[in-house]
Amino acid sequence: MTNLSPLTEVTPEVPRSRNRWRGLLPRWSPRLGAGLGLAGAIVLFGLIGPLLTSDPATIRDIGLTPPSGEHVLGTTVTGQDILAQLALSTRGSLQIGLLVGIMATLLSGVFGIAGAYAGGVVDEVFSLFSNVMLVIPGLPLVIVIAGFVPPDQRGTATISLVLAITGWAAAARVLRAQTLSLRNRDYVAAARVSGEKTWRVICVEILPNLLPILASQFVFAVVLAILSEAGLSFLGLGAANSSTLGTMLYYAQNGFALQREAWWWFVPPGLIIALFGGALALINFSIDEIINPKLRDRARRKRDVVAVLPETAAAEQDAVLTVKNLNVVYQADTPVHAVKDVSLTLRRGEILGLAGESGCGKTTLAYAINRLHRPPAEVTSGSVVFHDRDGEDIDVLALAPEELRAFRWVKLSMVFQGAMNSLNPVTPVRAQLQDVLRTHRSDMSTSDREQQCVEVFRLVGIDPERLGSYPHELSGGMRQRVMIATALLLDPQVMIMDEPTTALDVLVQREILNEIRRLRDELSFAVVFITHDLPLLLELSDRIAVMRDGEVIEYSTAEDLYLRPQHPYTRQLLASFPSLTGERGALIP
Amino acid sequence: MTMNYYVRKAAFYLAALWAAVTLNFVIPRMLPGNPVDILMAKLQQRGGTVDPAARQAYETLLGTGGRDSVFHEYVTYLGNLLRGELGVSVSAFPAKVSDVIAGSLPWTIVLVGLSTLLSFLFGVGLGAVVGWKRGTWLDSLVPATTVLSAVPYFWLALILVALLSTGLGWFPLSGGYDVVLDPGWSAEFIGSAIYHGILPALTIVISSIGGWLLGMRNMMVSAMSEDYVLTARAKGLRDSRIMIRYAARNAVLPSVAGFAISLGFVVSGSIVTELVFSYPGIGSKLLQAVQNNDYALMQGIFLVITIAVLGANLVVDLLYGLIDARTRDRSAVA
Amino acid sequence: MTTLEVRGLTKTFHKLCAVDDVSFTLTPGRTVALVGESGSGKSTIARMIARLVRPTSGEIVLTGQDGEPVPQRKYRDHVQMIFQDPFASLNPFHTVEHHLARPLRLHGRSRAEVPHLLERVSLTPDFAHRRPHELSGGQRQRVAIARALAPGAKVIVADEPVSMLDVSIRLGVLKLLARLQREENLAVLYITHDLATARHFSDEVLVMHRGRIVERGDSDDVLTRPEDPYTRRLAAAAPDPETRFSSARFSRGGPS
Repeated sequence: MTNLSPLTEVTPEVPRSRNRWRGLLPRWSPRLGAGLGLAGAIVLFGLIGPLLTSDPATIRDIGLTPPSGEHVLGTTVTGQDILAQLALSTRGSLQIGLLVGIMATLLSGVFGIAGAYAGGVVDEVFSLFSNVMLVIPGLPLVIVIAGFVPPDQRGTATISLVLAITGWAAAARVLRAQTLSLRNRDYVAAARVSGEKTWRVICVEILPNLLPILASQFVFAVVLAILSEAGLSFLGLGAANSSTLGTMLYYAQNGFALQREAWWWFVPPGLIIALFGGALALINFSIDEIINPKLRDRARRKRDVVAVLPETAAAEQDAVLTVKNLNVVYQADTPVHAVKDVSLTLRRGEILGLAGESGCGKTTLAYAINRLHRPPAEVTSGSVVFHDRDGEDIDVLALAPEELRAFRWVKLSMVFQGAMNSLNPVTPVRAQLQDVLRTHRSDMSTSDREQQCVEVFRLVGIDPERLGSYPHELSGGMRQRVMIATALLLDPQVMIMDEPTTALDVLVQREILNEIRRLRDELSFAVVFITHDLPLLLELSDRIAVMRDGEVIEYSTAEDLYLRPQHPYTRQLLASFPSLTGERGALIP
Repeated sequence: MTMNYYVRKAAFYLAALWAAVTLNFVIPRMLPGNPVDILMAKLQQRGGTVDPAARQAYETLLGTGGRDSVFHEYVTYLGNLLRGELGVSVSAFPAKVSDVIAGSLPWTIVLVGLSTLLSFLFGVGLGAVVGWKRGTWLDSLVPATTVLSAVPYFWLALILVALLSTGLGWFPLSGGYDVVLDPGWSAEFIGSAIYHGILPALTIVISSIGGWLLGMRNMMVSAMSEDYVLTARAKGLRDSRIMIRYAARNAVLPSVAGFAISLGFVVSGSIVTELVFSYPGIGSKLLQAVQNNDYALMQGIFLVITIAVLGANLVVDLLYGLIDARTRDRSAVA
Repeated sequence: MTTLEVRGLTKTFHKLCAVDDVSFTLTPGRTVALVGESGSGKSTIARMIARLVRPTSGEIVLTGQDGEPVPQRKYRDHVQMIFQDPFASLNPFHTVEHHLARPLRLHGRSRAEVPHLLERVSLTPDFAHRRPHELSGGQRQRVAIARALAPGAKVIVADEPVSMLDVSIRLGVLKLLARLQREENLAVLYITHDLATARHFSDEVLVMHRGRIVERGDSDDVLTRPEDPYTRRLAAAAPDPETRFSSARFSRGGPS
C-alpha cells in the first residue's frame, strides 16, 4: 500500500465481465499470437503428420539424398524418409513432454503448495527436500539412473518418471513462495473464519490465484522435459524403441551426418525443439505479464508537449514556486486528466498543505512539479517556475535533462511516504546521503562530506553512529528522519513531502511533525505537504489547497478553510474527521 | 545473528551432500539388473584379476545382494568415500576411478566455470541495460535470446561445428588440445587448449545467456518502479548511477539467489556438449562409463559433479550473504 | 443473547509476548473499542477470537442465548470477523455472490438470502455478480461486512475496518456498522488506532500498549480524561486544529 507510482492514483473504469476466467487469460499481443501459432503448428504436425507421411522405417537404397520433390527433407543414410521420421519423432517428444510436464507439475504442487499451506514442520521438511533436489544436478542423476537400468527395461514410462522426479524442484520453490504469500492474504483468513475446510481453502480460494504460475511452470516443465529427453536420447540412454527428436539426432550423429554435411538430417529435429521451446517461451512471456503486471508493454515516452505560457502576471511577492494552469494527462486508451488547470503559489518559508483523497491527483501534481511523472503521464500544458534566492527565475518544465538533474534536490528536495521503500535496501544509509553530495558537490572533500552527513543527522535528531546502518535496521520513524536528513543535505529552498507520516504510528507522527515544524523555523525552507489527513494540515500549514478529481476546489489559509469552508466537498471532508474533544453521540444514526 | 546465516547454509549443504551420497548408494540397489556380475565379466574381459577382493570392492559400492546387512554396506561405503577410494574403473582398466576423475575434472571445471561466469556477467549486464532501456528496440533481444535458450546444447554445438569448423575451418572439430602436444604448462599447450575450448565455451554461453538476460531484465523492470529509484531520480543523481547502484544492484539479487537452478541446467547441458566435441572433460568420461557399464566410474563422477555443484552454490550463497545485508539478519529457513 | 468472554488471554511469538493476560467481555448491543498503536497486540487478539491464531494461554468462552456455553463446532456460527484491508479480504477470483453464498451454505442457510444480505449493507442486489476489482473500497468493505453477517453471527470483531478506506467514506461505513449493531443487537469489538472514532462509536474502551491493557473504562471518560500516561500521550498526539483556531473562533465568531 506504499507504492508511490502515480499510476495507482488513477482507477480506470473496468469493463464488467461476468467471466471469472477472463482475468486469468493472457492479454493478446503479437508475441502471444506468434507463440500460440508456432506451438499449435508443431503440435498439429506431431498429431497429423505421422498419418500423412510414408512409413518412416522403410529402408531404401537412396542413402543421404538431399531434399528433393520426392523426399521433401531428404533421406537418412539408410534411405529412410526424414520428413516421415520427423513427424513421428515430434509426436514422441511431445508425448514425453506432456507426460513429464503433468507429473512434474503435480509433484511441485504437492511439495510446493501443500507444504506451504500446511506450514510448520511439514513445510520445513518439504522445503528442505525440494531445495536438496534442486541443488543435485538433474541430468547427471538421470544418466546414472538410466545407466543402471538395462536397456530392455527402459520404457517411455520409466524415462518420463525419472525426468519428472528430477525436474519438479524449481517449480516447487516458486509455488511455495507464492503460496506462502497467498495463505497470509486476508481472504484466505476470511474463508477460514467462515468455516471452510482446509482442502476447500486450498482448491477454491488459493489454487485459482496460482493458476498463472502453475501454467507458466507447466510450460517450463514441458520444455525442460523435451530438452532433457533429447539430451538423454542423444547419448543413447533414451527409452527403448521410442522415436523422439533426440533419437533422431542420435542416429544422425552415429550416421556421421555432420561429417558428411547432411544438414537436412540433423538440422530439422533440433530446429523443431528450438522452435517449440521458443514458442512456449513466448507464451510464457504473456503469462508472466499476468503474474507481474509491471512487465506489461508500455508505450514509449513522448516528450511533454508544453505550451509555455508567457509570464503574464508578475510572480507573487515572496514566491519561491509558481505553478500556473498545470495540466497532466495519463495517455491511456481513454486519456485520464489527472491534474486540471492547477495554479498554486508557494511562498518562501511557508507550509502549503495539499489535501485530497486517493485518486484526486495530488501526488501526480507533486511529481509533475519536479518532472518525476513517468509515462503514460504527460504534462500537456501549464508552467512551473522556481524563483531562486538570487532572483533568477527557473522554468522547470523547460529545463534540459542535465539542467533538470542539477536543479533537483539542490533547489527542491522530496520526502516520500514509504521511507522503508525510499531507501535503497542493500546499501548503508551513509552511501545514500553521500550519493547526493558526490553528485551535486563534487568538489567537496571526503571528510567534509562525512561532516555534512553527521551534521544533518544531528539536525534531525539521529545519532550519527546510525550512518552505518542498513535501512532494515532502523525503525519506521527513524527511516523517515533519515529521509528528511537527506532532503536537508543541500539546503534546499523547497521540500515536497508526500504523505510523509501516513505509514507511521500517531506518536511517531507527532514527533516527525514537530521536527518538520522546528526545521522549517530554523532553516526557513518552504514545504508542500501532501496528505489525506485534513486535521493534520489544519494544524500544520499556513495555506491549504483541497483537490478533487484533479482540480483545486478550494485554496485558502488554514484558518479560513477551517472556520469558513466554502466548497461543499471541503465541508464534507472536515466532517469526516470526528473530533476527540467535541460533542459525542451526534454521529450515531 | 550473522553466524546464523552461514551456519544454516553450511548445514543445508551438508544435508544435500549426505542426500547425494546416499542416493548414490541407494540407486544401484533399488534398480533392476545385477551390476556386480556385469562388472566382473567386464573386468575379466580386460584381463583383470577376478579375485574376491575386487568383487568385494564392487559389492560395497553396488550391493551384495543381501549377503551383508545394508547398514554394514552403508558404513563401509561411507568409509571408502572418506578415504577417497572409489574403486577401479573397468573402462580405463587398470586405472583407479579417482585417477580418471582427477585427469578429466580440471578440463570441465575450467570450461564450465569460465563459460558460466562469462554468460552470467554478459547476461546480467545485458539484462540490466535491456530492462533500463525498456520500450526501445532492445526489447526485441528478449524473445531472441529466449529462443536460443530453448535450443538443445548439443544441437547448437553440432550447428556451430558444422558452420565454424567444417564449413569455415576456423576452429578444430573436436578434442581439448592438439594431440601432438604434451600436456603441461607450456605456452604452446595452453594456447592450444584455449583454441580448442572456444567453440564448447561459445555453445554454453549462447545457450545459457538468455535465461540470465530474461531474469535480470524482468527484475530490473520491477526494481525500476520501486520507490528508492524514484527517490534517486528526485535526488538528481546521474542515470548511470541510478541504473547501477540503485536498480541493477537490487535487481541482481534474485539472479544470484537463483544461481543453483541455472547452474544445474548449465552442468547438464555441458555434459552432452562435451560428447559432441569429444572434450576430455568429466562429461565425456561419464558417458564412456555409462556405455561400458563402468558403474564404479559412473558413480564416482556423479558424486564429484554433485560436490562441485554444491560447492559452487555454497560459494554463491555466501556471496549473497555479503551483497544483501538483510539475509544475514533474517532467521528464515534456507 | 450471545456473550463472549475473554479471560487471561496471552500469546507469545518466539518468546516475545504479543498479548499479555488480557481479559474483557463482549455483550450484546455494546461496542468495545480496542485502541493501540501497531504492534500493540490488538490484531493478535482479533485473530485469536476469530480462531486464526491459537492462544498460548487463557480462554475464550462463548455463552449462547440459553446461558449454556456454545459447542466448539458451532463457534463460527456466532463469531465472525471483518478485516482491515478490503482489497485483500475479498478473493479477486470470485464474485461477490461466492463470498456471501459460501458462508450462508456453510452455516445451513440458503443462498437465496444473498440479495437480502446485500440490502442490509446498503448495496443493490445486482452487486452479486460483480467481482472485487469492479468495486470501490467502500463497496468492498460493505461486502465484507455482509459476509460476516451471513452466518447469522452475533459477535463481530472488526479489525481496523475503515483505516484503509478514503476519509470521506469512513464515517459511512462506521455508521453502517453502528446501525447493524443496534438493529441486530450485536456484540462488537472495534479495533482501531483512531481515538476519535473509538470515542464516538464505542461504549467501552480498552487502551493497549505492548500487549497489555493499560487503561479501560467508559469511552468518553477514558478518552477525554485519560489517567494513564500512555493514553494521555496518545490523546495529545492526535492532530487537533481546534486548539489552534479556538481563539480565532472566539474573536471572530464561529462557522455557521
